[in-house]
Amino acid sequence: MSGGSSAESTAGNPVAVVAQGVDMDFGTGAMAVKNAAFSLERGRFLTILGPSGSGKTTLLRMIAGFQTPTRGTILIGGRPADAVAPHRRSVGMVFQKLALFPHMTVEENVAFPLKMRRFNPREIPERVAHYLDLVRLAGFSKRRINALSGGQQQRVAIARALVFEPELLLLDEPLAALDRKLREEMQLEFRRIQKELGVTTINVTHDQREALVVSDEIIVMDQGEIQQQASPVGMYRRPANPFVAHFIGVSSFLTGRRTGTGLTVNGTECAGQAVDDIAPGLAAQGAIRAEQVRIAAPGGDLSGCDTVLEGQVSDSIFEGERLLYFVRLPALETTVQIYHHDPAEQAPYARGATVSVGWNARDLLIFPAKDR
Amino acid sequence: MISRSQKIVVWSLVWFSIITLSLPTLVVLGASLTAGNMVAFPPQGLSLQWYEKIALARDLQQAFLRSLIVATIATIVAIPVGTLAGLALSRFQLRFTTAIQVWLMLPFTIPLIGSGIGLMLVFGEWHVLGSLWPVGVACAVINLPFIIWSVSSSAVALDPDLELAAQNCGAGRVQTFLHVTLPAVMPGVITGSLLMFILAMNEFLVSLLLTDARIVTLPVLIYNSIRSIITPDLAAVSVVFIVIALAAIWLLDKLVGLEIFLKSK
Ligand SMILES: Nc1ncnc2c1ncn2[C@@H]1O[C@H](COP(=O)(O)OP(=O)(O)O)[C@@H](O)[C@H]1O
Ligand SMILES: [Mg+2]
Repeated sequence: MSGGSSAESTAGNPVAVVAQGVDMDFGTGAMAVKNAAFSLERGRFLTILGPSGSGKTTLLRMIAGFQTPTRGTILIGGRPADAVAPHRRSVGMVFQKLALFPHMTVEENVAFPLKMRRFNPREIPERVAHYLDLVRLAGFSKRRINALSGGQQQRVAIARALVFEPELLLLDEPLAALDRKLREEMQLEFRRIQKELGVTTINVTHDQREALVVSDEIIVMDQGEIQQQASPVGMYRRPANPFVAHFIGVSSFLTGRRTGTGLTVNGTECAGQAVDDIAPGLAAQGAIRAEQVRIAAPGGDLSGCDTVLEGQVSDSIFEGERLLYFVRLPALETTVQIYHHDPAEQAPYARGATVSVGWNARDLLIFPAKDR
Repeated sequence: MISRSQKIVVWSLVWFSIITLSLPTLVVLGASLTAGNMVAFPPQGLSLQWYEKIALARDLQQAFLRSLIVATIATIVAIPVGTLAGLALSRFQLRFTTAIQVWLMLPFTIPLIGSGIGLMLVFGEWHVLGSLWPVGVACAVINLPFIIWSVSSSAVALDPDLELAAQNCGAGRVQTFLHVTLPAVMPGVITGSLLMFILAMNEFLVSLLLTDARIVTLPVLIYNSIRSIITPDLAAVSVVFIVIALAAIWLLDKLVGLEIFLKSK
């Protein structure tokens, strides 16, 4: 609990949220959150991404004040948060199951935070109307909650969380229950509203696409631990470890030993670049994105590739805008996944067909082998 | 998919249940409309003479009034106790939850005569027998599990994060309870209250044990009369009971909607 950054707790503090060494132990075996540390600048949109059970909700609830960290400090606007009761925090939250008040109308739901936070009663109707407008629910103010569609309920929850203009907006997988089309629409809606209001936002999801689309920054969590914090592009291009490479995008993994120029897998040299310094000879793992592997007819044009190998197509999946090939590489005794665009131009490679596969050294990222 | 033969079986069962459940009601309704002097089904001629008679009978009127008072007291006692208990049981992690659930099963396992005698001993010890309020309190006590159930089934259907959402909106504990928890379980409270009212209104055994000749309630009065002679006026009184029960269901439908009642466990 070093007081390093809490010292600059001024009104103009550009840092909205800081977590320092935050643990949450429910006493049920593994810790739900382990030594979480991150900081988020004001006005940014952060997404916490991770598989189910990785501790995302727990982290969010600690920020909202519903749970107290077993260890560590959370600072909101430069002030330690544990001293502030949840109902006094300037934090708006959209819950996973929305938790709208079933006995109130849309309007009453949105007005509730204003009443509880003692806003001027004459100001309330105007504010409510403004925020219902913002989430495009202007005509629905008198409706009961259960007379709304899922997407409309979503918007009420957002309006309720934003109407009192909190310093911080928290979103706990509020889109998980929606169908894909509506979910993607709401993702863009979140982004629009967030940019319009400039409110610092922490969003939680297990959907990597959502994280890439809506965020300024992403934190990937696994088993209670933060794996990486980066921009969407940075996270995608430069995953910090194989877990992140596996969780975001489609990657193939090669297990072998570090050499001077890459990785030797099953005796075959594969060109690649190390993410961390790894001494030659040590066990290492390479990861390569499906769209960075090129495929061609045997002896076809793979000029510019640093590594070229032969293999057999073991399966292919038509995804509309592209094909996903699974190609078995006997030299490496492994199968790689390859995205191949514009398949309309030529007949796809048949199952069992022999093909050439290649990649650039900069695209095979080499990580130390997991020693866990 | 339900096959044709399954359909036939299901519908036969449904109709069988509907007929057997409503048969006594139909019989009593018919008997009350008789023009003769005997309880008979089908009725001998149609008339409302027995309704006229019960409307004018002072003892019936007073017993009816007493039953209303007992039911009102029982409901007033049961609402706060049952609501708080139902909420506590479903919204907070309590210790002894199993013990409490066993206790909630008691009305089905302990014969009413047992609890009735127990209450009679307690109230006798306190020297309060002979007035109406102990009967009301007793009805509240023995039927309490019903309102607790009603409230907690309403409460477990709520989003577990509802109170957290209220806090997040800036509501303290008391405000959360008053503005969110309580109104959100109101359907369960209303259902439970109507149930308590009807059950207390109809309560016979406990009333029999706790009342004396001066303060008989309507079910006890009916019982006393059928021991001597069964006349069609009793059928008319029974119909009045049925009408009250129907009125309660109608009210329930108006206030909270029957689907909530049917959904609740
Ligand atoms: N109140 C709680 N009591 C005990 N264990 C909990 C509690 N809340 C969460 N956990 C455990 O903590 C871990 C992380 O849960 P959670 O934060 O909900 O994950 P996520 O939101 O990423 O799916 C899980 O193993 C979960 O079982
Ligand atoms: Mg979660």
